[in-house]
Amino acid sequence: MAVTIVVAGKGGVGKTAVAALLIESLSKKGVVLAIDADPSTNLNLALGLPLGETVGKAREDITEAIQKGTLSPTVSKQDVLDMKIREALVESNKIDLLAMGRPEGPGCYCAANHMLRLTIDRLAKSYDYTVIDSEAGMEHISRQTTRDVDVLIIVSDVTIRGIMAAARMKELIKELRTKVGKIVLVVNRSRDGLPQEIQDAIQKYGLELIGVIPEDPYIGELDMKGSPLIELPGESPLRRGVEDIITKLGL
Amino acid sequence: MAGIFPVDVGPQYEGEVIRKADLYVEFGGPNVRSKFELVTLKGLDEVDNEKIEVIGPDMKDMQEGGSYPLGLMIDVAGEKLEKDMEPVLERRIHLYANYIEGLYHMNQRDDIWVRISKDSYNKGLNSLEEIGKILMFLFTSELDVIEKISITFVTDEKKVEELITKAREIYKARDERARGLREEDVEEFYSCALCQSFAPTHICIATPERVANCGAISWFDGRAAYKLDPEGPVQEVKKGDCLDPIRGEYSGCNELAAVKSMGTYNRVYLHSAFEHPHTSCGCFQAIWFYIPEVDAFGLVHRDFAGPTVVGVPFSTMAADTSGGRQVEGFLGMALEYLRSPKFLQADGGIRRCVWMPKEIKEKYRDAIPEDLFDKIATEEDVKNVDELVEFLNRVEHPWVKGEVELPT
Ligand SMILES: Nc1ncnc2c1ncn2[C@@H]1O[C@H](COP(=O)(O)OP(=O)(O)OP(=O)(O)O)[C@@H](O)[C@H]1O
Ligand SMILES: [Mg+2]
Repeated sequence: MAVTIVVAGKGGVGKTAVAALLIESLSKKGVVLAIDADPSTNLNLALGLPLGETVGKAREDITEAIQKGTLSPTVSKQDVLDMKIREALVESNKIDLLAMGRPEGPGCYCAANHMLRLTIDRLAKSYDYTVIDSEAGMEHISRQTTRDVDVLIIVSDVTIRGIMAAARMKELIKELRTKVGKIVLVVNRSRDGLPQEIQDAIQKYGLELIGVIPEDPYIGELDMKGSPLIELPGESPLRRGVEDIITKLGL
Repeated sequence: MAGIFPVDVGPQYEGEVIRKADLYVEFGGPNVRSKFELVTLKGLDEVDNEKIEVIGPDMKDMQEGGSYPLGLMIDVAGEKLEKDMEPVLERRIHLYANYIEGLYHMNQRDDIWVRISKDSYNKGLNSLEEIGKILMFLFTSELDVIEKISITFVTDEKKVEELITKAREIYKARDERARGLREEDVEEFYSCALCQSFAPTHICIATPERVANCGAISWFDGRAAYKLDPEGPVQEVKKGDCLDPIRGEYSGCNELAAVKSMGTYNRVYLHSAFEHPHTSCGCFQAIWFYIPEVDAFGLVHRDFAGPTVVGVPFSTMAADTSGGRQVEGFLGMALEYLRSPKFLQADGGIRRCVWMPKEIKEKYRDAIPEDLFDKIATEEDVKNVDELVEFLNRVEHPWVKGEVELPT
């Protein structure tokens, strides 16, 4: 119950694509909370869902109300935030989507962020899976959840730089307060299997390779038509690759 | 509880979320304007005991998946009940409603959101009356002080709209009363260590008359947070003995400061900027700063980018104030604290304020005595301390004229 999966990696490697297919596949096994942690909020497009209010907007609203001193003195701000977050949730059949939106501006958000984490953690408890599509980079992971992450999927492209970035991420995550159960590597958009150099690098950095997803010829057409990625056909390499990862991870 | 009611009831259902896909109907929430709940204390002869009334359509008459208005009114009576308990009892609606299997309740007052699941509807939770029976059972079995209770559900939109206006007046009156809560009235304060990453030795104290430095954690928030997460960064502080009612010195706060600062500070004054002022993290909304030339204080908030009357901007001053130290004459604080009756009372309070940005003066106008309002300089009136001295003499600022007496 309540498995938390984070999809991370450097910019443009296919985090959102992998996360979207992961969310869709998992939604056949249970209900999924999809969290779009990228300020450019594009997970909803990949999932074919509308965009709701963002968590960032809720945080701004409450911070502004605090600044102006307009809130009732007795109504707890945690309750107000709980409500705002539920309102921001985009609900569909098996998938509910929450977009984090822009990070905070200058000023103090310690309390607001703490309350938000509590709200989101409690919300996540009632889902079978929580899948977080990260923004490129790492430091935000600790901001998003106080809960432990069960699986961190680092996506890389077929470059040495990509693998090195993944290795750095793995090191960094150890310093964060969030506990991470399993860290695995997915190499995306390969053309003819994995070149020897890449295989060597993966071994050298001690990364656990869980899947290699080939370049997907179906994506171009969907992108052209502006259709959501989850419409990929059954034989799509991305879809099959993600399903294979789910099996290997035993999710 | 099975058998008595169509669905199960118990604390295990708290936190249960009802998703849109599992929803039979919902009341209130973002799609509905007219919604509220209210508990009213009545006389023993005024409550028609155990009566449940539904005014307007009931769930059976509603469309599956629909969103409907709701006014939930609970009247209670009992010898030992007091008017002050109304908000506490009202909060119990949230708790008890969430005990019901397949029912989820959020928030309070005129911003509620209630969902009923298809499963529970099909099990027989198909009428507001059934919900009323369960609520009534929980209220009376958990709270002995309630001798009589009646529950009314209003789903007729027009009627809800009418009733809301009255409810809002009551909420407002309660807020006024809450603002009247004093440190003397409570035994517990709350401490907050949320900013520990910025200032490990800092601990913020929230009392009914002092909101935490960031403005986000009031005494009420502290109480709610502590209940929700007793192991969390917000903790209860037994206030202990009041050692100095004017400066706001309490034995419980002193002990806490000593532990947190590892012995660096063993005294803290909650309502003075001198000798043992409250420590400041990095998160304060504003800084209250001493201006020696006039032996008075200025106030500057985080959003004020320009230089203050003493020449330095907020950011420079913040660096000197923050870090969990007691810096005499510099106090990080929440703007809401301006509204406290104990606002730095030991030093002369707001009457010792001689400068603040215009924005704050406008936003917190209600916290400034009328006769003082025009005598506090802003960035538009003066640019430096020389001009300030001249200004204060011209407007005959009460502190400068020696008219403000310090409490003893
Ligand atoms: N296996 C694949 N085959 C072909 N195209 C792919 C594949 N995976 C991803 N893409 C395409 O690569 C582009 C970048 O992918 P995506 O947006 O998922 O990356 P990202 O890591 O989420 O990027 P960002 O860092 O901007 O969030 C998209 O146009 C996507 O459709
Ligand atoms: Mg992305």
